[in-house]
Amino acid sequence: MKHLTIIIASILFSTLFYNQKIGLNLSIFSIISILILLVSNTQKFRNKTTIIYTLIYLLTAALVFIQHTSLSILANVLALITLVGSVRESKSSIYVQWYNGIYTSIAGYIHRNLYKIDNEEKETSKKDIDVLHLAKLVGIPLMFITVFIVLYRNGNPIFSDLISKIDFSFINLKWILFTVLGYYLFSNIFSPVQVDFATNKDLQTGNILQQSETFSTEILVKEKQLGTILLLLLNILIVFYLTTDIISLNTIKWTEAPMLSSQVHNGINALIASILIAIVIILYFFRGNLNFYENNKTLKNLAFTWIILNTILVILIAAKNYNYITAFGLTYKRIGVNVYLFLTLIGLITTFLKVSKVKNLWFLFRINTQTAFVLLMILSVVNWDNSITKYNINHAQSLDLNYLINLSDNNAVLLNEYRKSNNLGSNQSNRIITKHRNFVYKLNSRNWQEYTYSNFELKSLANTSRNNEYFK
Amino acid sequence: MNILSNIGKSSLLAMSIFWVINLTYDFNWDYIPFVFLSLIPIYFCCAIVILLTICPIFWFSVSEGFNRQQIFKTYFPIYAIIIFGLCSYGIYKTKTDAFAISFFVSAYISTLHSWMWFVKPKKVNQNEQTTLCK
Repeated sequence: MKHLTIIIASILFSTLFYNQKIGLNLSIFSIISILILLVSNTQKFRNKTTIIYTLIYLLTAALVFIQHTSLSILANVLALITLVGSVRESKSSIYVQWYNGIYTSIAGYIHRNLYKIDNEEKETSKKDIDVLHLAKLVGIPLMFITVFIVLYRNGNPIFSDLISKIDFSFINLKWILFTVLGYYLFSNIFSPVQVDFATNKDLQTGNILQQSETFSTEILVKEKQLGTILLLLLNILIVFYLTTDIISLNTIKWTEAPMLSSQVHNGINALIASILIAIVIILYFFRGNLNFYENNKTLKNLAFTWIILNTILVILIAAKNYNYITAFGLTYKRIGVNVYLFLTLIGLITTFLKVSKVKNLWFLFRINTQTAFVLLMILSVVNWDNSITKYNINHAQSLDLNYLINLSDNNAVLLNEYRKSNNLGSNQSNRIITKHRNFVYKLNSRNWQEYTYSNFELKSLANTSRNNEYFK
Repeated sequence: MNILSNIGKSSLLAMSIFWVINLTYDFNWDYIPFVFLSLIPIYFCCAIVILLTICPIFWFSVSEGFNRQQIFKTYFPIYAIIIFGLCSYGIYKTKTDAFAISFFVSAYISTLHSWMWFVKPKKVNQNEQTTLCK
């Protein structure tokens, strides 16, 4: 039953992906993967976490078809890895699930094979001998027949001619190899495995920091003094920096793009260094027994103040970035800055929680990786090329059309509509026409496996526009 | 640890995978002598990879009191992920060239199997066992 299921799945794998680009095939593959996991791990799918990850995986599968962006494909792959890890051990942290998911996907078959030998040695020994014998039965005669064919070819021209006429081109060996790849992948994920060391360690470790047995007040007093002085000075410094930053925000001319760019990027560099050092310093001082020391209130308050001041720094950078976007429109870099700022804010909040609720380092890893995963899934919902184009055309004070033309084909229709309704220069106009033609040509030459939502959109557009533009 | 036998088996496996993939792209009877000749460089490649990347893990871990199963459980997942990453990067960088695909795929599969052969307990033949018992 197991082998039959995997063989059917691997044939479907080849049908979907052999010589095809990504499209509908990845969405169907996602459904097949869920079915394969469901067949072999039915009990695990009663777990709430696994059900949520399955739904997320299905959502990303739909997004690959609808949006067809690199981000949605990345989200789909990560969702599969997470689901496989969750099917194996749903209670572990998300980064351990990634570890188990990747390990299962690339080497699950070998892992299980070895464990089978370990656990069911008696049962498998017979099987192993059979396989070895079969390999010998096929391999050795094949090797010698090949050698002798090569030797005899040189001795007899008629024999050589006959051998040359043997044509195996009717067998598509590449397709067969691709099916073997599918078989390997599905047999890997059929029954997910785990990295015992990492999974057990993760399950045993909670989120609360424990007081160690060696509690020396003398050492803690010295550490507290050092921490208080350091954080006090850093607080004064960041207050000074923020004051000057607010002044510069009011004096800068927002019409100068290079000035704005340098302001935002310098701010980001300062922020990266400041936040990382802030988190490392806070984690260093609150790594152990100082959390349980009675007179640590001043140090804790200084740490909280520093976190709040860093949060203000994040808000200031966000304001600069917002001004930048309003003036010159959206770009991937500017969106990236916002994503980074959001993640930084989450990092600061979790550091705050770690200190105030006496949590350990694992808590930080768990909650931050979970947030990053959720954020990636949310971001993959948006078709960014399309959104950037739409926003810039409608809202940007200064439009950089060349940037929009250089984006992926996802904005080709929008740009073409913009070209029709505006008088553009001949160069830009020609580039948009070429981009749109290429897009339409690519859509029309797709196989069913490569179909995306754009194909159906194109059909409806063609029906309504009454001209031949979409079938050139 | 039977290193020589492991290198031999890995070389044969690597050679088979390498040529099966390569010959599906372009089959010609004239290539057959090269298939057998290629065993020499493949053997050296396998020996270098096994001796430099797998054996040291076993030697150092055994001296720290680990048994083979523990070594496999601890280090094999990391090794497999690193090798997979390197081989995928190699295929990506060579723009999915047939030779590169066959080289990296055979390297990936044979190194993973090499681990398995190191950890797999050596089976005693039933006849031998009976003779020993007598």
